[in-house]
Amino acid sequence: MNQALFIISLQHELAMSIGNKLDLKAMLKVFLKVSFNRLNLTSAHIYVYCDHGGMPSKLIPGEITNSQHFLSIPKNKRGHPWAQNATLDNFAQQLNTAQQNISFQCENGQYLFGFIIPEHGLLIFETHFLLDEEVQKALQPILQKLATSCYTSLVHDSLVKEMRSRQQIEEKVVYQAQHDGLTGLFNRQHINQLLSNAIVDAHSNKKIGSIIFIDINKFKPINDAMGHTVGDKILCTFANRLHSLSSEHINIGRFGGDEFVILLKDLNINYQEVISLLIEEINQLLTIPFVIDANSYKLTCSIGYALFPLQSSTVNNLIKFADIAMYEAKRAKSLQGKIYLPAMSEKIKRRSTYVNDMKQGLEQDDFQLYYQAQYNHYGEIIGAEALLRWQHPIHGMESPAVYIPIAEESELILSIGQWVLEQACRDIAKLQKLALPDSFKKIAINISAKQLAQPNFQDRVIYAILKNDIPADRLALELTENLLVENIEDSIKLIASLKEKSIDCAIDDFGTGYSSLTYLKRIPASVLKIDRSFVANIAQCSESAAIASMIISLGKTLNMNILAEGVETQEELNCLKDLGCYHYQGFYFSRPLPFEDFVKLLN
Amino acid sequence: MAFESFTWHTKSDALFDFKYGLNLAIDSGAKSLLIFTCQQNNYPEDELNTLLSSCPLTIFGGAYPMLTLKDTLIEQGALIIGFEEDLDVSVFSDLYNLADEEHLEALITSTLEQKNNFSGQDNFLMFYDASINNIENFIDCLFECLDHGINIGGGGSGNLEFTQYPCIFTNQGIHSKAVVLVALAKQLNTSTAHGWNILQGPFLVSEAQGQTVQSINYQPAFEVYSQAIEKSSEHQFNNQDNFYDIAKHYPLGIEDINKNLIIREPISTQNNQLLCGGNIPVNSMVYILGSKKDNLIASTEQAAISVFTGQENIYTNKSLIKNEAASSTTLIFGCVSRELYMEDVFTKELKVIAKHCPTPALFGALSLGEIANCKSGAIRLLNKSIVICSW
Repeated sequence: MNQALFIISLQHELAMSIGNKLDLKAMLKVFLKVSFNRLNLTSAHIYVYCDHGGMPSKLIPGEITNSQHFLSIPKNKRGHPWAQNATLDNFAQQLNTAQQNISFQCENGQYLFGFIIPEHGLLIFETHFLLDEEVQKALQPILQKLATSCYTSLVHDSLVKEMRSRQQIEEKVVYQAQHDGLTGLFNRQHINQLLSNAIVDAHSNKKIGSIIFIDINKFKPINDAMGHTVGDKILCTFANRLHSLSSEHINIGRFGGDEFVILLKDLNINYQEVISLLIEEINQLLTIPFVIDANSYKLTCSIGYALFPLQSSTVNNLIKFADIAMYEAKRAKSLQGKIYLPAMSEKIKRRSTYVNDMKQGLEQDDFQLYYQAQYNHYGEIIGAEALLRWQHPIHGMESPAVYIPIAEESELILSIGQWVLEQACRDIAKLQKLALPDSFKKIAINISAKQLAQPNFQDRVIYAILKNDIPADRLALELTENLLVENIEDSIKLIASLKEKSIDCAIDDFGTGYSSLTYLKRIPASVLKIDRSFVANIAQCSESAAIASMIISLGKTLNMNILAEGVETQEELNCLKDLGCYHYQGFYFSRPLPFEDFVKLLN
Repeated sequence: MAFESFTWHTKSDALFDFKYGLNLAIDSGAKSLLIFTCQQNNYPEDELNTLLSSCPLTIFGGAYPMLTLKDTLIEQGALIIGFEEDLDVSVFSDLYNLADEEHLEALITSTLEQKNNFSGQDNFLMFYDASINNIENFIDCLFECLDHGINIGGGGSGNLEFTQYPCIFTNQGIHSKAVVLVALAKQLNTSTAHGWNILQGPFLVSEAQGQTVQSINYQPAFEVYSQAIEKSSEHQFNNQDNFYDIAKHYPLGIEDINKNLIIREPISTQNNQLLCGGNIPVNSMVYILGSKKDNLIASTEQAAISVFTGQENIYTNKSLIKNEAASSTTLIFGCVSRELYMEDVFTKELKVIAKHCPTPALFGALSLGEIANCKSGAIRLLNKSIVICSW
């Protein structure tokens, strides 16, 4: 009677321990622990059938499947995992082959009892005593229940895995949809969404927010000169630094290129103070140089911002306003950040009108080329620089200092540049028909960055030459030092290629730009033009004289001609002559003249 | 040959005297010290903490309800044993919640990894704070993580009220909710005994959670237990007032597959439930036990003979691995409730152990729960039992 009750209570206790957990290992561990304690076991083990990938699986009828060690209590025997125990492993193999309960007495007197978990694996108990037949029989229904629970766990595991992988994919998709691939910051779309939500919240919570645009200054030259890998590393480093500012109220994003945005939410009446502090922090982030591949880069940024709902409550407007303010800060070279002002839009509007005027001017032939003669030290004209002049229908003669930068901001500079090229070639053709002095060599035109970036720029030059049937060596191109450095490798190739076709290049405004001395040796230009800033008062200013002297000796070393711009006095001329510069351009010799007047001057 | 190099005790409850003994121990040439103090001493905690944490020798031990030295019971005072070896001590602290198995396993695994999983060390003494809830989870997990084939003996420290207070000693000071494992340099033999017999049963534990039995035979546990005792004796339960006075005579026994009884002592009752000194699984079969004091003493004598002669140790077969060197030290963990049950006769238990004990050092502690391997090798928490450890 007592034995029967014992068997029943044993069965109940073991049965109750099955299926308490869903994870297969955890479920089997609970069962093994209870078996271990209730059956006075020395050790207990589970082997499970596995699929080809080594994952536990239900036995597929007809397939030969090996069982693999899965779980043991205790984990080790004499410091070694049970999975490496030969006696246990042999017994498990025998049990798997027999596919029925077997037992074995070990050399140390211990017993091993093996049971089949139908379709799922093997259960092995080690005891110091013989397990009663009755107890062994009582285990049979338990094993069936264990098999069912194993199956449930396997199904659960596969569901969990599927859910997890689906969840991971979903999370990845969501992440990719919201984040910038390079920096991991929020992308443009998500920032727009966050801004849209923040505007709604600002209205309902009576709070103020700000969208802040940040653009790294002079990033493009670095990217072009050092390559995109370095550029990307700088962007990632800056993104990481910016990310350190993020909080519940601050979202950071990258809009593209070197443009970053910060969305600042939940501001109170002291918003200006908070924004100013944040801008200070952003600038602070840039005080530490960016060390990339052993090179150190010191960067600054231009910052512009707009407020919501104070200045607008639409995403597009706010983005536009912050962008406008950022460009205004860039133009003003301000590091303090600029708040958007409606006047900025007015200015842009005016610019837009101005650009339209320029377009019209081009169509109506309001543009003209003036020519400023270039001289040698014998006083002979050796060439001229073609300079653009615009007779504005209302403003009169416009200064190129005003309209060239505006044209450069739009694609209009390409049309203007093309007109200059063609007009200069037409004028050269006219000159060819005249009796030119022997000293006269060529007409130089200025080339803008956007022109140079045109993939067919060289073809356009050649075409203009051929079209007007002029000798190629009568045309020269002037490229500023900054322009060359922005895309140094392509510039070198282009200049070399033009030189092969007898078209010379001059480096304009030399000495004012980015340090290009490293590259100067590789640039096959023919002329170095000393910038007017070093020529002005050269006799009085020893620093200017020193720089001019350096440029002159540099040019000589590199076999380039040196031409000084902006020579206005006899004193400056004498000084330049003394320093070894023998080509000049400037008011001292001649002002820029309309073509007809220039022809007269030549004669 | 390893042997205890120093034994000192005091029956004074003054910390000053303990300090004197500790200084003697430090100067004795011993490399590590086992320190037992009586819970009744009420040493100022801060001062004791400072003394322990400034001790230059490795120390371990705890505060127990009572201590034993040879055949004498020490109700207040302290006992210091010095060892020639610098024994390796591992502390598992902050064991507030042992219900989360994963957390517990991670804690034990990380501590064991620091000790290189006790590679080559199979013999341990365990001192633990008896107020830790569910110490059985800890020992199950320890056994799982340690190894097949370790030998262990130990006992729970603390006070009879089972209230929490710092009671485990190490070089870091006094700990509460901590377990200390001491790896011995020699083969440890243990033998256990209880001497309790079946009076009534079996009963089916129909509802239980951990140490609390909610129902027996589908009836409220206290009701079944008290009625069974009242019917067969003159005892009458008077609610909670005299519960333990009666229950100490009638522990519960869980019968295992080999017909061995694992004793579980009912400590208190509340809401018709029984709170015991160890886990009782649902669906297990329990008996109400009883005994005579002479039987308890006789079983203790059997355990003593077994551990000292290496013969027929009914609980462990470790004595089959015969010590190359003779044992030099014997440590007893006797359940304090045996003393409460046997009262004046309890010293007879100590006498029968001393009678058979060949080792020069014989000492022990009355504990709140005892730890030993059972015959299968697993570590068990025992109640109302005696564990004799000899090495």
